[in-house]
Amino acid sequence: MPDRAIPSACVALERRSEGRCRVEEDVVVLFERTRDRLLRYSMSLGLSAHDGEEVIQEVFLALFRHLQRGRPQTNLNAWLFQVTHNLALKRREGDRRKQQTLAELSAAAPNPQARDNPEDQLLDRQRRVRLSSVWRALPEQDRQCLALRAEGLTYREIAAVLGVSLGGVSGSLARSIARFARAARR
Amino acid sequence: MNWESHLSDEELLLAADGELSAARAAKAAVHLEHCWSCRARRQELEGAVADFVRTYRDELSEPVAPVAGPKALLRARLAELAAVRRPWWRRGDALPNWRYAAVACLVAGIVAAGYALGTLRVRTAHAPRSGVVLPEPRLTPGAVVRIGREQVCEADLPKNHMVPVALQRRVFEEYGIRDPRTDAYEVDYLITPALGGADDIRNLWPQAYASTVWNAEVKDALEDRMRDLVCRGDLNLAVAQQEIASDWIAAYKKYFHTERPIEPGRFP
Repeated sequence: MPDRAIPSACVALERRSEGRCRVEEDVVVLFERTRDRLLRYSMSLGLSAHDGEEVIQEVFLALFRHLQRGRPQTNLNAWLFQVTHNLALKRREGDRRKQQTLAELSAAAPNPQARDNPEDQLLDRQRRVRLSSVWRALPEQDRQCLALRAEGLTYREIAAVLGVSLGGVSGSLARSIARFARAARR
Repeated sequence: MNWESHLSDEELLLAADGELSAARAAKAAVHLEHCWSCRARRQELEGAVADFVRTYRDELSEPVAPVAGPKALLRARLAELAAVRRPWWRRGDALPNWRYAAVACLVAGIVAAGYALGTLRVRTAHAPRSGVVLPEPRLTPGAVVRIGREQVCEADLPKNHMVPVALQRRVFEEYGIRDPRTDAYEVDYLITPALGGADDIRNLWPQAYASTVWNAEVKDALEDRMRDLVCRGDLNLAVAQQEIASDWIAAYKKYFHTERPIEPGRFP
């Protein structure tokens, strides 16, 4: 499970007022812990790695200001995903031409890990194409639910990030996973 | 949920994810002990979760690069943010809301003329070995919002807000500064918003920080002086904008009656 708390007691108000504290350091530690997950999530929303990196830099600068102003630190994990979600969608809207709804190419490329015979490779490839088309055919919000779950968020956190109900989250995840199960059986 | 009734996909997933309440989880566990078909279904769903996770990773258009580079960049930006608190228009912050109402307009023509006459000399004389003392007029001619003296002098200072990182990066790219060190440069307004400068790439340039004689703080002092003069009615706003955009060092010399920057604390 991902870390819920700020990495050190450094941002506690009393320590900050003593001047010994460096909020920057806390932000950098959190960045190190969550950047890969946030980047993958923003790429799953259709951003390029480059745009994703920029969005995440903005997210952590916003976090810095958030902490500096003494704002609530409860569940920063969900906070980070939520701000990433919002900024990534905003960027995507603002820059439609950069939108890549995830490489068609990668689905068609052979799996480098499959070192079996050509027949197995073909089966593996067909299966991957099937799974990939399931993923791309999902409604956007279902994809977002899955991606957030894959990045380790709890249902409650996903609900907060996407602004949907808990039941909405579990219903969406169950529906989507059932679709993957069907595709695998075919 | 009765322990005898089969579990739905949703309940199986909730149970696997540890999202059921203790009571419901206990009932589900009892049912699963007894029910082969639910256990088989649970296994299918777990298999689908694994398939999804692999698909999710496969579908990423590019691999995720190592964190070290972005981390260093963030650290530099944070250091800059945490540095001395300067007024909002000095920190590369955004403009007041009235910029949305105002139409950004170029003063490039006037500026280019002024620049051709007077600036090149100063630029050569004061250019540091590295860093940018004067903006490149082709890239940063200066841009202003269409507001009058009253608005400039009465504007409430808005809440802080960074120049978007992407815009800062474009400014650095324009100037051919690769891998900018944020402690070495500040993306600064050529015509300060305090004098009606626009939040526009044509009005932003990478100003070298403390390493040069004619640095950001010196320019800040000039901006304060010119704003005072404008608001007292001793200097026309358009003239002030033009002078600062065409050659701020020449303007400094003119308004401070000096050839060298005056040390902080010794302003008359």
